[in-house]
Amino acid sequence: MRAPSRRVALVALAALVVPRLAFAAPRLNPTGARAVELVHGFWSLVSDVAGPTADTQSPHPAPQAIPQASAGQAPVPLDDLSKPTAIEAQLRSALRPHDGALRITVPNGTARLGDFSIGSNESISGHLLVVQGTADIYGKLLGNLVTVGGDVVLHPGGVVSGDILTLGGEVRDEGGEIGGEVRTFRSTSVLATPIETRPAPPSAIETLFRRLAGAVGVFLTLGALGFGLVMFGRPNLEVVSDTVSHSFGRAFATGLLGQLLLLPTFGMMVVGLILSVVGIVLLPFAVVVYALLVVVAAVGGYLAVAHAMGETYTRRRLALGVMIGSPNSYRYLVVGLGALGALWMAWALFGWVPVAGDLIRGAAILVTWLLGTAGFGAALLSRAGIRENFAGRLIPPEALTDEYLWATPQFGVTAAKRPGSRTPTRGL
Amino acid sequence: MRGLLLSMLALAVGASAASAQTMRPFSTYRQWHGETSTSARLEFAAGALRLAAGRPAELYRMDVLYDADRYQPMSDFDAARGDVTLGLRTAGNGGLRVVSKGQLRQTASVTFSPRSDLALAVALGAVDGDLELGGLRLTNLELEAGASRATVRFSEPNAARCRDAVLSSGAAELTVLGLGNSRCDRIAFEGGVGRVTLDFGGAWTSSSRVSVKMALGAVALRLPRQIGVRLTLDKFLATFDPQGLVRRGTAYLSPGYDQAARHLDIDITTAVGGVTIDWLE
Repeated sequence: MRAPSRRVALVALAALVVPRLAFAAPRLNPTGARAVELVHGFWSLVSDVAGPTADTQSPHPAPQAIPQASAGQAPVPLDDLSKPTAIEAQLRSALRPHDGALRITVPNGTARLGDFSIGSNESISGHLLVVQGTADIYGKLLGNLVTVGGDVVLHPGGVVSGDILTLGGEVRDEGGEIGGEVRTFRSTSVLATPIETRPAPPSAIETLFRRLAGAVGVFLTLGALGFGLVMFGRPNLEVVSDTVSHSFGRAFATGLLGQLLLLPTFGMMVVGLILSVVGIVLLPFAVVVYALLVVVAAVGGYLAVAHAMGETYTRRRLALGVMIGSPNSYRYLVVGLGALGALWMAWALFGWVPVAGDLIRGAAILVTWLLGTAGFGAALLSRAGIRENFAGRLIPPEALTDEYLWATPQFGVTAAKRPGSRTPTRGL
Repeated sequence: MRGLLLSMLALAVGASAASAQTMRPFSTYRQWHGETSTSARLEFAAGALRLAAGRPAELYRMDVLYDADRYQPMSDFDAARGDVTLGLRTAGNGGLRVVSKGQLRQTASVTFSPRSDLALAVALGAVDGDLELGGLRLTNLELEAGASRATVRFSEPNAARCRDAVLSSGAAELTVLGLGNSRCDRIAFEGGVGRVTLDFGGAWTSSSRVSVKMALGAVALRLPRQIGVRLTLDKFLATFDPQGLVRRGTAYLSPGYDQAARHLDIDITTAVGGVTIDWLE
């Protein structure tokens, strides 16, 4: 790479890395939690691209009254909340939708679905059950209050004359008055399946942009990592890349075996360290180092595959006489990642097409796994680019004769005919 | 050696898998509405318990992490009588769990308002307890420690006059620190097996009578020099070294007992074990 372009690459890399470091610095800790966080973040990024995105924050359903249950269904009395687990069991049974509709009877009270608030000049008599919504109390509730899957916010001036029970929520007392007891279960299994909380599926355009952004983000991240790898570890990257090119089958088999042995190896390491007693101290560090090594081998191997693809493509173009400005590792990587990313881009663009979209996605996953496995295997075979045995670079042992030092090789490489040299004439 | 370690590892893994608990957090509290007195009963079967004075604006609060398979939280306030029952009751279908202390992961933190007079009854099972009663307005105390290791502390003087403090234990290790701050007129301890340490340090504002009955175990007394101490002992096979006390009739008295403004009269009945005395400077 020429000096100016190298400088530009350095500045770009610094711009990518420095803010991240500055942000991460205060949170560095010696336990390796950061590394785990990084790995987790990376995989969640990948899963964002690989799978359909789902909004984990289920919004509350539209506020509405829950109609009274039919005669056959048992009512849920909220007069006595001193046995919260009993109330929870009753609600678990009562809140199962019957015939697709939610119905519940609260004697001396009302039941609501979704957010509900009592205004500052309002006063409600009787018990109140709020399901999957926040109960905002500005006014007065003359009775008990129960929420399922929602919080209670008691605003200044708000009054609940009776007890409060929250199942799967919390009570935020911001200056109100509670006549009775407050009982809180932060988690509950009352609503095993949320009621009417499925958010509307995102539109096709939204899905398309989301997928495109995810794919571009992942491959930009891989590009940044690859540039860093080329800048600081080019010899190793090239050896792994050559190993992929020259021993693809062997690398794939090794990668497959490596994936199968990942967990057993980890288990053996943990047990071994525990049995050695002294090694117990090293166990947390060993676990973190092992995880990091696996991630580095997988990501590095994948980048090496991209490098190998880019190199092959570029050399073929050069062989065809196409003029290419700077055929170097950066270009190889960009070309290779572009090729690998193209499949995911195709999925992002056409993933909405029935059947074909799933096929493209399956193909993208399969190809990524195949190449990732080969890259992982190449990283293992070459010991992270230290061993060149499978990179096709070593001279065969039979060539290492005394004559090799001065004579033209007799095999392997065709002896070049030097211009101007004369073919010895027999008899001269 | 290696085989032993492997067996221990397998045992530990098996035991932890067998005793998988469904731990669940639960919180309860009640706002203070000007109540002048409260009677509280706290029952906690197993785990770690912390009790202390809490926020003045809350009559009581309990935050508990409990084994939902075997226990149910209790939180019941009787507004008419001013009684509250807190703690965990067995769920009734889980049976008794016999595990090591390390596996008793249940925890409870209980606080009471320092504004309201408090008559407190605590029943502990297999509990690692830390009860800081200083700063409360304690009027009565009953503590039953079954097979617990509990420390009861009065780090600050009791803000109210305490009538009785009745402590009992089955096979427990009980340490009571700063009884001088408790301001209790009568203190009684009844123990089966174990070890009890009674520290009478603190700011003495009145005289007190103490009764200690121990069947089998050690009784350690830490006595302050600034008050008059009178000790009577009924023992069978127990050792006793009356260091610093002078025998007068059937009792042992501290020097200057008659001239002391406040008195601590201790009656000890013990069968097998020993009674030791340490003086607090």
